[in-house]
Amino acid sequence: MQKWPKMAENDALVQIIIGCKNGDAECFSQVVDMYASRCYGYFYRLTGSKDVSDELLSALFVRLVEKIGSYRGGSFESWLFRIASNIFHDYLRGRQRRTKLLDERKKQLESQILEPKYADSEKIDKLQVQLHRLDANTRELIMLRFYSQLSFKEIAEIRSEPIGTTLSKLHRGLKRLRQLMEGY
Amino acid sequence: MIDRNQENLKELFEKFLSAEESTKAVGDVRKAEQILRENPAPQPDDMLIANIKAEIAMRLPLRTADVFRRMAYKAAAVAAAVIIVALIRVSLFEKGSEPEKAVYASIIPRAIWESDDIATDDAELAVLTVEIEQIEAEVSALQSGENGTDGDRAAEELQMELIEINSAFWKG
Repeated sequence: MQKWPKMAENDALVQIIIGCKNGDAECFSQVVDMYASRCYGYFYRLTGSKDVSDELLSALFVRLVEKIGSYRGGSFESWLFRIASNIFHDYLRGRQRRTKLLDERKKQLESQILEPKYADSEKIDKLQVQLHRLDANTRELIMLRFYSQLSFKEIAEIRSEPIGTTLSKLHRGLKRLRQLMEGY
Repeated sequence: MIDRNQENLKELFEKFLSAEESTKAVGDVRKAEQILRENPAPQPDDMLIANIKAEIAMRLPLRTADVFRRMAYKAAAVAAAVIIVALIRVSLFEKGSEPEKAVYASIIPRAIWESDDIATDDAELAVLTVEIEQIEAEVSALQSGENGTDGDRAAEELQMELIEINSAFWKG
């Protein structure tokens, strides 16, 4: 995983974002280099599919180009991962619509989400299997915390819930994940 | 204990849990995050990153055109709003103003109408006034029998004189 940007790099990030706002392709490339790895990890851990993660990562940066004008300062990571979270939820809704069109049962969809199907070429890692034993909401919270590096306050704001709720859910989720990983 | 998010996790947990429980909770979080770090997710392919950058480069001119289009739409909307407000104000002004009053011009000048000195204001009116005064004098003489003439004849003459004055007055 790419190294976490430090506070000292904030000024450089501000300059890059100004460049993006001015339509500088090189600045967008730098943003892609800085965040692609973390955002990809976030999508992959939530979907369990490389193909879907490829698609969602592309969608994220396309939306970044469209929305950069609306970024008004504050935590860039928070803003970016809010978009990433929206893209993931759009993807889930799209799946649900497709499922309804095919007249499949809801349970079937849930089982698909909980137990992602991997292509033969994809190595199924232990963490991915255990992550999908957690409920979708907790899994998303853990991934948001881990990959976005946002504070609990920022995560609580993104999720529109009290910080105590976020803390409690994350603690229970991580504890459960640890138990699953150790008992595997 | 400050974590990578620059938060004091223990302090944060202590807002909701006891000191002992907070220490344990922070430990749980740390251990689980360690597991996540030891099991990294796959990295995106270089090809994918290159494609994303190419797509961004392709979309940027479109975005610039979009920005200009949006600016043009905004300018047009502002201009339309200004015109509408101006039209509304003009129509309100027209409705709000008082109706036009008809101005009546007097045939007789106000100075003459209000003046007490008729003789100097209008010669004809002065003549009429004198004649009326004469008639008044004659009538009163007739009534009192001062002039010693035949009353009936004098009345006829007076009547004829009145008719004559009347017609002369209206002829101008």
